[in-house]
Amino acid sequence: MNEDIFLWLIQDGVTNGAIYALLALALLLVFAVTRVIFVPQGEFITFSALSLALLEAGRTPGTLYILVIGGLAAAAMEAFVALRERAWRRLPRIAALYVLLPVAVAVLVAWAAPRKFDQWIQVLLVLAMVVPLGPILYRIAYQPLANASVLVLFIVSMAVHYVLTGLSLVFFGSEGLRSRPFWDAKFRLGVLEVSAQSICVVVASLVLILILWFLFEHSIYGKALRATAMNRVGARLVGIPTVLTGHLSFLLAALIGAVSGILIAPITTLYYDTGFLFGLKGFVGAILGGMGSYPLAALGSIAVGLLESFSSFWASAFKEVIVFTLIIPMLAWLSLRSRHVEEDEE
Amino acid sequence: MNRRLTIAFALLAAGALGALGARADVTVGVTLGATGPGASLGVHYKNAFQLMPKTLGGQPVKYIILEDGSDATNAGKNARKLISEDKVDVVMGSNGVPSSLQIAQVATETQTPFLCLTPIAVKPDQYKWTFSVPQPTELMMSAVAEHMKAHGVKTVGFIGFSDGWGDLMYTATESLAASHGYKVVTNERYARADTSVTGQVLKIIAANPDAVVVGGSGTGGALPHLALVEHGYKGQIYHNHGTVNAEFIKVGGKSVEGAIAPTGPLIVPEELPASNATRAVALDFTKRYEAAFGAGSRNAFAGYTHDAVMLLDAAIPAATKKAKPGTPEFRAALRDALENVKNVVGTHGVYNLTPANHNGLDERARVLVRVESGTWRLMK
Amino acid sequence: MTAASAAKLRPHPALAAFVAFLVVAPFALSEFYVTLMNYIGLATLVVLGLVLLTGVTGLMSFGQQAFVGISAYTTGVVTTLYGGSPWLGLAAGLGLTALVALGLGLITVRLSGHYLPLCTIAWGISAYFVFGNLDVLGRYNGLGSIPALSLFGWTVDTGRKSYALIWVATLAALLAARNLLDSRSGRALRALRFRATMAESFGIDAAQLKLVIFLYAALLASLSGWLYAHFLRFVSPGAFTVNVGIEYLFMAVVGGASQVWGAVIGASLLTMLKEWLKDILPRFFEQSGNYEAIVFGLLMLALLHRARDGLMPVFARLGRGDPRRASPPVAAPGLSRRPRPAAGKLLLELRGVNKSFGGLAAVRELSFEMRGGEILGLIGPNGAGKSTVFNLVTGVLPADGGQIRFRGERIDALPARRIARLGIARTFQHVNLVGAMSVLENVAIGAHLRGAQGTVAAMLRLERDEERRLLHEAARQVERVGLAAHLGDSSASLALGQQRLVEISRALAADPVLMLLDEPAAGLRYQEKQALAGLLRRLRAEGVSILLVEHDMEFVMGLVDRLVVMDFGEKIAEGLPGEIRSDPVVIEAYLGGIE
Repeated sequence: MNEDIFLWLIQDGVTNGAIYALLALALLLVFAVTRVIFVPQGEFITFSALSLALLEAGRTPGTLYILVIGGLAAAAMEAFVALRERAWRRLPRIAALYVLLPVAVAVLVAWAAPRKFDQWIQVLLVLAMVVPLGPILYRIAYQPLANASVLVLFIVSMAVHYVLTGLSLVFFGSEGLRSRPFWDAKFRLGVLEVSAQSICVVVASLVLILILWFLFEHSIYGKALRATAMNRVGARLVGIPTVLTGHLSFLLAALIGAVSGILIAPITTLYYDTGFLFGLKGFVGAILGGMGSYPLAALGSIAVGLLESFSSFWASAFKEVIVFTLIIPMLAWLSLRSRHVEEDEE
Repeated sequence: MNRRLTIAFALLAAGALGALGARADVTVGVTLGATGPGASLGVHYKNAFQLMPKTLGGQPVKYIILEDGSDATNAGKNARKLISEDKVDVVMGSNGVPSSLQIAQVATETQTPFLCLTPIAVKPDQYKWTFSVPQPTELMMSAVAEHMKAHGVKTVGFIGFSDGWGDLMYTATESLAASHGYKVVTNERYARADTSVTGQVLKIIAANPDAVVVGGSGTGGALPHLALVEHGYKGQIYHNHGTVNAEFIKVGGKSVEGAIAPTGPLIVPEELPASNATRAVALDFTKRYEAAFGAGSRNAFAGYTHDAVMLLDAAIPAATKKAKPGTPEFRAALRDALENVKNVVGTHGVYNLTPANHNGLDERARVLVRVESGTWRLMK
Repeated sequence: MTAASAAKLRPHPALAAFVAFLVVAPFALSEFYVTLMNYIGLATLVVLGLVLLTGVTGLMSFGQQAFVGISAYTTGVVTTLYGGSPWLGLAAGLGLTALVALGLGLITVRLSGHYLPLCTIAWGISAYFVFGNLDVLGRYNGLGSIPALSLFGWTVDTGRKSYALIWVATLAALLAARNLLDSRSGRALRALRFRATMAESFGIDAAQLKLVIFLYAALLASLSGWLYAHFLRFVSPGAFTVNVGIEYLFMAVVGGASQVWGAVIGASLLTMLKEWLKDILPRFFEQSGNYEAIVFGLLMLALLHRARDGLMPVFARLGRGDPRRASPPVAAPGLSRRPRPAAGKLLLELRGVNKSFGGLAAVRELSFEMRGGEILGLIGPNGAGKSTVFNLVTGVLPADGGQIRFRGERIDALPARRIARLGIARTFQHVNLVGAMSVLENVAIGAHLRGAQGTVAAMLRLERDEERRLLHEAARQVERVGLAAHLGDSSASLALGQQRLVEISRALAADPVLMLLDEPAAGLRYQEKQALAGLLRRLRAEGVSILLVEHDMEFVMGLVDRLVVMDFGEKIAEGLPGEIRSDPVVIEAYLGGIE
């Protein structure tokens, strides 16, 4: 291995690591607020990337069916609660948020899809379709179990992953898609040649780290969100609406996922089931960062990316084995270090 | 709990027994994975069944298609179900070597003819009931090997899927090396869903081979090709018949111009000479397939489904003379008949089966195609 | 509702009906349904392991399929490459699984929270790629032509024959697991998930017990893998992907992850549902897609929302009308007892003990002594550090500095379970009972160290003699605190005061030399307090020493021999009750505390 290859591998590792970092940050955000380990975060990425690719081809992405059906299901659940509590006044708001909004977006996308508008308009359409999925998903899958243990919520995440991957196959098909690059520019950095697109991914994760770090460490909203994670009952007692914080964190996660998908779509071929391994590796990154700090989670993800890129050079067939076997002792070390008496609630 | 379970089982059992009504149709059982890791192949196999005739060899025919999620255990379970519950006369399937081997095992055990849609190298004396419809991988890749020989390629870099398909392509490339005067210098692997193959590609470039063979399938073949071009690799890049579809070019864009791959004639029937034996059949099938599934949807896999059904069409008349469909005797007769079909023209080639050769295709079943201005074109 | 009902003998009619169904099934069902039953049996074995691991012990695993694979491949290699007997394959498979599981288990059982599921996913993914990349295992194409089993010349080469073998193995595993849960080790196991600190305080070695269960679950998966290989006679990596692992866990959750029979229900339902969906879904959807996965996922969501304990409790409710009433255990010879130290001999000694939490000193330079046959009261305002002292003495927390000696031996560096062996038993300020277990079972946990029989003996029911003696002793201690009428009730159904009495009787069951009681009288009515005081006096007369934390001053003053008063982690006074009552420093501390 010469110096050039070494540098290329570093560059590759950092680019991939930045993708995982985008996932890790969203995972951490959701975990910090809701204690949900949101493995399906990767699915937001595939949904947005594949939707964008389909829009470019002038086809209507199936994401809008997911949006409308999901919205209807969430509306039904909300309405059921409202009717039981005889809170009639909530009904118009439910209808507006969960039925009208998704339907309006769906109609808009269906109208716009065959017209092949400018790329930037397509990006906005994708955001409009994918971002509302976050709160809808939270409402349907997680809100009824908000007080369950981390492990139960983890199983819920697995179930959600199953459903979303299944839907993804139905709506996007089994072949991979790639979207047109936004910028063709390339920069020379010594021996390396870096595409503007991958710089974008790295910059996006950096910006995100800063925003989240600022939001959570220094703003009152961030503190409220964190308080919710630590003690739901306590948070409710001091007037923090826990349900709303859940919705908010999923909205942010979906936004991060959608933006990441749009950034990644031109760099690599994405498939209906790519999201799962993405999500897992982001999770690994977040855990290596101690599952508590945004900058550390990003560093952990970069470490995963580097590990991958070097192992794919040395022994490509065993890449996943190397990555996933090496994290086992790291997990053991981290778990022992963060030793605290943890007992499930009965 | 147990009483309810008993009732549930009893009901299911009753339903199962009720399904065994008397029939005289020929029943074709199919198990395919239109989902899971092999989905991009399985979908095409499955689509083609919508275009298949409702009578074969003069007999009304029923197709029962089950989904196996590209998983061998499920494929085997499906095969058992088709044979014991639906009393099928013949089994077809599946995408993926493990799934196909598993079905072959069941076919032998239950004495049911099995038309395998994946190229598996099984010996007829060991798997008496299994017939492999696609061109053997060696036959396909020998076209690539010959092309490389003609252009003086001495060293070959290989990069393929880290799955059964990748193994199949590597084995074929490797086994043809000695006879065609080249050496395989790398065996790199990647997963379809990987975001980057930079590490593997750097290793190939460091080895500096004269040509590279990519053992991926569908759009998955594009990733290494793009990375190779991006890192300035100048040698010829070869693919395989699994990659020959329109999506590959869509994803690969300009970078995959000049990619060469072997395939069956049905990808380019328009360009075949009028004298070509398979031209008419292939032209008709691609026209119907693209009418149903969109322009540019043609692919090798749908053709295998078509050809398997054509083989049945040729064999059924001989078998119905001996026994009635739905009986073990019919299955045995069908197997014997399949072993002796001659000059069946399919979309991929002309099939001449013998007891010693359960595939029966020859060099006519492969052509080389190249990506030229955004489409696969026949290489003259 | 958890393992309690599983551990007790199920009513026999249901079990008999189940066995009868299993016997009749191969003759009544069509070939394919027999095959399906085989798959159910194979899955049940793995899911049963998960029930013990996840549902009972609280260790979630997404990696069991790796153990299935290890054993399936091992027997495949042994029989096809080396022409060995399948039985050799079984031995090799179990052996290799045990080795791998031991290595993984040593790490895994110590992981907590989200580290654990990720770790199991990690090794599950690794295993798949290792299987797929080893030439000796046939790479991604797998191993074919694995021979059929043969048993005394009887070849198991059809679905119906395999059925017999698979279900005999599965039933045996089910019964063994049920026996295990209803035993000394089983009670310890069921206490681990929610009450790990308590379990350790009664001498239960949580890490070791978890490792044993981890091994057992791995071996069950391994057995399933061996049967799988010789039933299907073909092994390929696709059967051991992480999705398969997720489905096993789904089965466990659907059935009811904490119940042995939940494994059968979960495995049956999901296997049947999968087949059924395969038949029914293509009729509704023209386009191909993974609709089963969607339905599976939605079903899981609905279950987790509506019936988080799985379907087993639902079935159990349907099957049985009246709740089970435990009969008092039969009389059995008493257990041996520890010799008591002579009254007045130095028993417990704290010298300069320190403990701080993140810079906040909870206990500072604390020194006091206790002598045999003494009741020592430890009092002080809230937050004075009394409960921390308890945790230091019992080894729940390590001391930062200073020495703690018990009967001359230093115990400040020992883990809780070792300290329990020396004859120290405690109660907890926040009641620490296993809610799903009966009062009798809870108290029997106290006697854990007085038995010796392990998990294997429990599975085979070879420990019944000791078990009777343990339960008899537990019943005796329950009677002593006046709760004989509640022997069979679930501890969660008792009033808080009664729960505190159960805590005391559990401590008594440990046959302690020194008892640490943390607010035993809280929540008791006047008469009950009187009775409790009487009991404690009798214990003192028997030579048991008692360290008491209590806020009810009337209760304390009338009972204790001496008092130690703490404030802000420091000892501010020590002496006879009369002296303490008039000590100005103490009065100041208490009055100051009121501000």
